[in-house]
Amino acid sequence: MQPDRGVIRPLIKLTSIADGTLNAFDNIVDGAQALAMPNLRLGVTGLSRAGKTVFITALVHNLVHGGRLPLFQIAAEGRIARAFLQPQPDDTVPRFDYEAHVNTLLDERIWPQSTRQVSELRLTVEYESATFMKIMLGRGTLNLDIVDYPGEWLLDLPLLNKNFRTWSREALALASEPARKGLAAPWLDALAKTDPQTEADETQARDLAARFTAYLGACRDDDYALSLLPPGRFLMPGDMEGSPALTFCPLDLADGTSAKRGSLAAMMERRFEAYKKHVVRPFFREHFARLDRQIVLVDALSALNAGPAAVRDLEAALAGILSCFRPGRNSWLSHILVHRIDRILFAATKADHLHHTDHDRLEAILAKLVEKAVARAEFAGAEVEVSALAAIRATREAQVREAGVTLPTILGTPLPGERLEAETYDGNSEIALFPGDLPDDPAAIYEPAQGPAPDLRFIRFRPPKLERTAEGLTLSLPHIRLDRALQFLVGDKLA
Amino acid sequence: MRDEPTRRAPRAFHVDGNRIVEDEAPREEPGHAQTSHARRRVAAEIVPEPALPEEEILPAPMPKRRATHWGRWLAVGLGGLISLAVGLAVDNLIRDLFTRTDWLGWTGIALAALAVLAVLAIILREIAGLSRLKQIDRLRQKFAAAAEADDRKTAGAALKELTALYPARPETARGRSAMTAHTREIIDGRDLVILTERELLSPLDAQARNLVGNASKRVSVVTAISPRAIVDLLVVGIENLQLIRALSQLYGGRPGTLGIFRLVRHVFAHLAVTGGMAAGDSLLQQVLGQGLAARVSARLGEGVINGLLTARIGAAAIDVCRPVPFIGTQAPRVTDFVSSLRKAADTVEEKEVRTD
Repeated sequence: MQPDRGVIRPLIKLTSIADGTLNAFDNIVDGAQALAMPNLRLGVTGLSRAGKTVFITALVHNLVHGGRLPLFQIAAEGRIARAFLQPQPDDTVPRFDYEAHVNTLLDERIWPQSTRQVSELRLTVEYESATFMKIMLGRGTLNLDIVDYPGEWLLDLPLLNKNFRTWSREALALASEPARKGLAAPWLDALAKTDPQTEADETQARDLAARFTAYLGACRDDDYALSLLPPGRFLMPGDMEGSPALTFCPLDLADGTSAKRGSLAAMMERRFEAYKKHVVRPFFREHFARLDRQIVLVDALSALNAGPAAVRDLEAALAGILSCFRPGRNSWLSHILVHRIDRILFAATKADHLHHTDHDRLEAILAKLVEKAVARAEFAGAEVEVSALAAIRATREAQVREAGVTLPTILGTPLPGERLEAETYDGNSEIALFPGDLPDDPAAIYEPAQGPAPDLRFIRFRPPKLERTAEGLTLSLPHIRLDRALQFLVGDKLA
Repeated sequence: MRDEPTRRAPRAFHVDGNRIVEDEAPREEPGHAQTSHARRRVAAEIVPEPALPEEEILPAPMPKRRATHWGRWLAVGLGGLISLAVGLAVDNLIRDLFTRTDWLGWTGIALAALAVLAVLAIILREIAGLSRLKQIDRLRQKFAAAAEADDRKTAGAALKELTALYPARPETARGRSAMTAHTREIIDGRDLVILTERELLSPLDAQARNLVGNASKRVSVVTAISPRAIVDLLVVGIENLQLIRALSQLYGGRPGTLGIFRLVRHVFAHLAVTGGMAAGDSLLQQVLGQGLAARVSARLGEGVINGLLTARIGAAAIDVCRPVPFIGTQAPRVTDFVSSLRKAADTVEEKEVRTD
């Protein structure tokens, strides 16, 4: 078997033919339903902590409550008659707990917990159409289907086109990189003492898997902020915790040897395949194979915080994930048989954590990070946009003058436990932060900091304090460029 | 500030309301005296966001220097001579008046002074009008440059200037307050220009379309029923001049006589420039005109063609008078006015049939 090193083939070739058929069948059913009631599957893609849940919550809140969306044309023209949440089409998937998320954001002023389960929502927008044809057909309706899921699981998608041997080799190579070596040491030590060809032993397997999981978890810590940590269920097991499909780890297999029957290697390999078959493939098929539009949320700031190793890791993780999607222009036939994603928005989230004068540079950095995916999507005919956005704007901006130097700063309340140099914030006091200048040349993010102190330090802020009007109405959630993102993603469907 | 060679290190300040307060726990930094820190920290203050500096705004493209026009010098010379002649005549007249009776002479002087005052006022008004037109031209260039470069600063400055143009216009009140709210948020340059068009100018655009539509209808009806060709000519000329003046006033211009000349020149220059681009448009116009002309009587056809000409001039005049280029919205085209013209033609035809 020829290992496909570096090149990750589009998934279409690798999902089995049965899957392809199922997809096509689903698409045809969808197409038939869409004739009666048009719907749009918006794929909110992003690694963990990229801000998927917040983005979805803000999107729904702004549409349902008629928030300030001057650049979302239909809202600006006042043509949205009503937007409301509907029971979603899949009965087996939990509903996205929108109300709870809004409450934690607005009342407790904390960001939602990391997502542990897949959830789904359907937002129905009733609107007055502005095109002649649609006016004749009466008021338009669009169903917007959005899925929220733990971002860690996204890391599994590239596994679909790897076998156990390839994956083991790559995982071991990754673990021996300088940034990870220290974190992986306990697992690597245990692995060195294990002979893959010994008889399978469940205790040993569990021990190895536990150490592997601990290593992955450690990599995710803020100080390292590494992203490329498959398999995702190890970090966020959902309801599968402790099941055999999650009790495996990469093994150091000598080239050319085949695993003996009943050996540890054979067991691990079988479990890896089971993981792919029962966990990854259904996840992909149910939630990602049939997207119409995609927004890729990237938290570039925390990677920049942690340094060049984290940035490279983020780039690799994004490249792996994005190679699994099928961008391209849809014709009416391809729309039915193979769904293609015809618009992709790459969004650098948390743009409110730096001053707006740096937004252009942040966009340049993101464009650099996803360079290949952008090129591929554009080549396939999809429309691509790169933007810096904040689904919820947690800060204000101000200039601070100190000793004749004026610094563009952001004002906000840092999350409790955030620290800058020697100071740790308690989560109540407000600060003005100058997080450092982003480099003019986006390629500079791959180079380590010049001085002894880091060039950049982004601090996470608490959600904004929203004032209520005299009538008790909550004002709309502030944001940065959410309206523009909406216009790009769904604007044409609401013409 | 942007192009500093060294990148500035991250910094944080404690804030209380809109004031920087002293850190409770001073940061420990080896090699730095504690006192200097404290002093620096107290010295820090929040300053308002800087006003948009004019000099950072993209320069408008310089108009080309034109070659010396001898015709202009001729006009200057002749004009000077005529003024001298008039001055002399007035002088003689007043002298004559004084030789008859004193009070007649004084009356003459008073009248002459009144005339001079009026001339001065007119000149001032003309200058103000011309500078206002120039300002609108400059604004348009600024908006175009801001949209091109996606430059928030230029767009913000231009928007400020534009809002100042319409302080007493009730129809823009809603748009102005909306734009004031928008400028508090983070919106990119190009988006800001598009928003300006949508929020601030859309009521004016609707009025402008109305003006053009009505003028072209009037022209087509009058030329269809007028008995003499010379009347047609006069009507078309006057209507178009009035249309251009009305459009300019609608968009904030205050054109005097010279201003109108300048505008007319611009409109025709614009027509010449866009003529090539609007080839498809004019083709349609020809076909429609011919079709209509063949369908209705020859005179009616002529009327419709004159109406289309007016619509066309009106569309060009909108382009010339509007302080923001058409970026996010569709510019009016001649075809937009065709249906109303056709209706006008139909009503004229019906009336003719009835009277026959």
